[in-house]
Amino acid sequence: MATQEISTENNETVADNVDKPTESSAVTVIEKQVQRRIFKIIVIGDSNVGKTCLTFRFCSGKFPEKTEATIGVDFREKTLTVDSELIKLQLWDTAGQERFRKSMVQHYYRNVHAVVFVYDVTKMSTFDSLPQWIDECDRHNLNIHIPRILVGNKCDMLDKIVISTNLAQKFADAHNMPLFETSAKDDGRANHVDAIFMTLAHKLKNSKPMMPVHMAQDQGRLPGNVQVVSLDWNRDRYRSADRGQSHQKEGCAC
Amino acid sequence: MSSGESPVDKQDNVRPNNLNLSTPKSPTVASRRQKVAKIRLALINKPVDISALKQLAISKDGLVSDELRKRAWPKLLDVDVDNIPPKPEPEILQGHRDYNQVVLDVNRSLKRFPPGMEENLRMSLQDQLVDVIMRVLVHRPELHYYQGYHDICVTFLLVVGEDMAFALVDKLSQNHLRDFMDDNMDRTKHMLNYLYPIIGKSSPDLREFMEIAEAGNIFCLSWLITWYGHVLNDIRQIIRFYDFFIACHQLMPIYLAAAIVLYRKKAVLATECEMCFVHSLLSKIPDDLPFEKLVSQAGDLFIQFPPKTLADEAMMIFEKSKAAAKMQRRAIAKRVTKGRFSTILPNGGSVIVSVTVWTLVAAVTAGVYAVWKSNDWGWFS
Repeated sequence: MATQEISTENNETVADNVDKPTESSAVTVIEKQVQRRIFKIIVIGDSNVGKTCLTFRFCSGKFPEKTEATIGVDFREKTLTVDSELIKLQLWDTAGQERFRKSMVQHYYRNVHAVVFVYDVTKMSTFDSLPQWIDECDRHNLNIHIPRILVGNKCDMLDKIVISTNLAQKFADAHNMPLFETSAKDDGRANHVDAIFMTLAHKLKNSKPMMPVHMAQDQGRLPGNVQVVSLDWNRDRYRSADRGQSHQKEGCAC
Repeated sequence: MSSGESPVDKQDNVRPNNLNLSTPKSPTVASRRQKVAKIRLALINKPVDISALKQLAISKDGLVSDELRKRAWPKLLDVDVDNIPPKPEPEILQGHRDYNQVVLDVNRSLKRFPPGMEENLRMSLQDQLVDVIMRVLVHRPELHYYQGYHDICVTFLLVVGEDMAFALVDKLSQNHLRDFMDDNMDRTKHMLNYLYPIIGKSSPDLREFMEIAEAGNIFCLSWLITWYGHVLNDIRQIIRFYDFFIACHQLMPIYLAAAIVLYRKKAVLATECEMCFVHSLLSKIPDDLPFEKLVSQAGDLFIQFPPKTLADEAMMIFEKSKAAAKMQRRAIAKRVTKGRFSTILPNGGSVIVSVTVWTLVAAVTAGVYAVWKSNDWGWFS
C-alpha cells in the first residue's frame, strides 16, 4: 500500500476544532499536539448480515437496540491510539440491497484505504454473494492492493451456523484476505469486534504485512474498551491468542 | 383499524410535549379549528374541492388530524376507497421475488412504531405492513421493491389502516414513487442531481463549498425515497410532510432537502470541507428545525426555480458524473487484473426518458404549480 495515499492532517485541525463547541478542551489539546491520520474503510456485504451492528458496536461499544435497514450509506468514526499514534477510522456502512450497490454506493469506494466484506455465518446465500461483492470492489477501486478483510458475523447463533470455518478460510485464502469470525451481538465478545478493527488499524498504520502485534492497551488515551490483540483467523472461533508469527505468512495482499 | 382512531393518534394523546395544543384559548387551537372547518368544507363539496384540499395540505400544519387525512388523502390521490381490490392468497404474496427482502426490512422496522406500543399490536401491524407492501408488488409486477419503501408504507398503515394504505400506496407507486421502483436506481439518482442546482441558485457559495468537499448527495437519499420517514423521529412530523408531498410535484422532497441544507448553511460552512464531515453533519436532521418554515421555503424554491428550469443543469451534472465514471472505468480497465471483473456499463439512456416523464408530470400536475402561485397564505414571503 502506498503511504502517500494516506491523508495526513497537520495543524489544520487546530483551527477546525476551535469552532466545535461540543468537543472537550482535552480532546482539542490532544489534537493540537498530535498528527492524526485518517483511514477510510468501506463495509460491504448482503442485506441483514450485520454491517450496521458491527460498525455500531465498534464505534459506540454496544449492540444497537433497534437497527433499521441502511438506506444509501451511513458514516461512523472512531479515534484510536495505535503505537502511540492517534488514528481516526472512518467507517462507511453501506446498504446491502443490490439496487443500491449497483448505482448509489460507487462514490464511496473512492480513495478507500481498506475494505471489510461481511457475511452471515447462518445464511449461505450471503456467503455465496461474496464473489459479486469482490467484483464490485474491483470495479470501483483503482488500487487493488488495499487491505481487505473478511468477517463472518452472527457467530453467537451456534446451532444455526451453516458456513464452516474451513470453507470460509479456503475462500479467504483464495482471495488473499484474513478471515475473522465474530458476533456483534455477543457482549462477552465485544472486544473481538474492536480487535478486528484494531488489527486493521495496525495494518493500515504500518502499511506493510501484518506484524506480530504487541500489547498496547496501556496507552493513556486508548478508549477503555479497546485492547490490542492479535487474532487467529485460521481456525479457532473467538480465540484471541497471540499467534503473530503465523500472521506474517497468512497476511493479506498488501 | 377498528375504531376511528389510529395508533398514532392514541400515542399522541399521552405525549406530554403535545399538551400545549390542548390549551383552550391558545391561538394555535383557534387556527387549528378554523383549518379543520375549511378541510371539512372542501370535503363536503360535490365534487370535492381538490384545489382547496391541496392548498390546505400544503399550508401550515397540513391536514391537521388523521381522521381528516383518512378522508382527504384518497381524494387527493383520486383513489376509490369503495373498490379496493381484495387481498390475494398468502401463497401468492409470499411467492413474490421481493418477499424475503421485505420481511427482513419490516422485521427491522421497530423504530417506526410509536414507542410504548404493545408488542402484540406492533407485531400484528408488522404483519399487515408486509401484506400492504406485497399487495402492491403483486398487483404491479413491473414495480421493484427498494429498501425505504417500507418506511413509506408504514406511515400510511399507521394513519389509515391496511386496506386503504394498500390503495393509497398502490396509486402513489404509479406516480410520485414510480421513479424509485425501476429495477435500478438511475432515475432516483438523477432526481438527486436537482439538489445542487437548487442550492446553487439560492446560495452559490454553499454549493461551491459542498462541491469542493465532494459531499455528494447520498446524505439525502433516504429523505427522498422514504419521504423523510426514515430520518425523522417524530411520526407526527412525518405525517405532516406526507400531506405536503401528496399534494405536490414528485420532486418536492428534493426542494425540501435543499431548504433544509440552506437553513443549515452556517453549520455546513463551519465544518471541515471534506466529504465525511459534510455528509455526517447533513445526513441527520435535528429534531428542532422549524419544519413549517422549511415547508414554506421548499414551496418558495419550487416556484422560483421550477424543475423545468433546472433540468439542463441537472443533466449536466449527470453527464459529468457519467464522464468521470467512464474515465475511472478506463483507468481500471488498464490495470493488469486476473480478469475478475466484468465491464457491464449501466445504461444511461433511461435518464433522458425520465426527464421527459417529469416534464410530463409537471404538466399534468400544473394544478399544483397554480396552487403555489395563487397561494395567499402569507407564509411565502
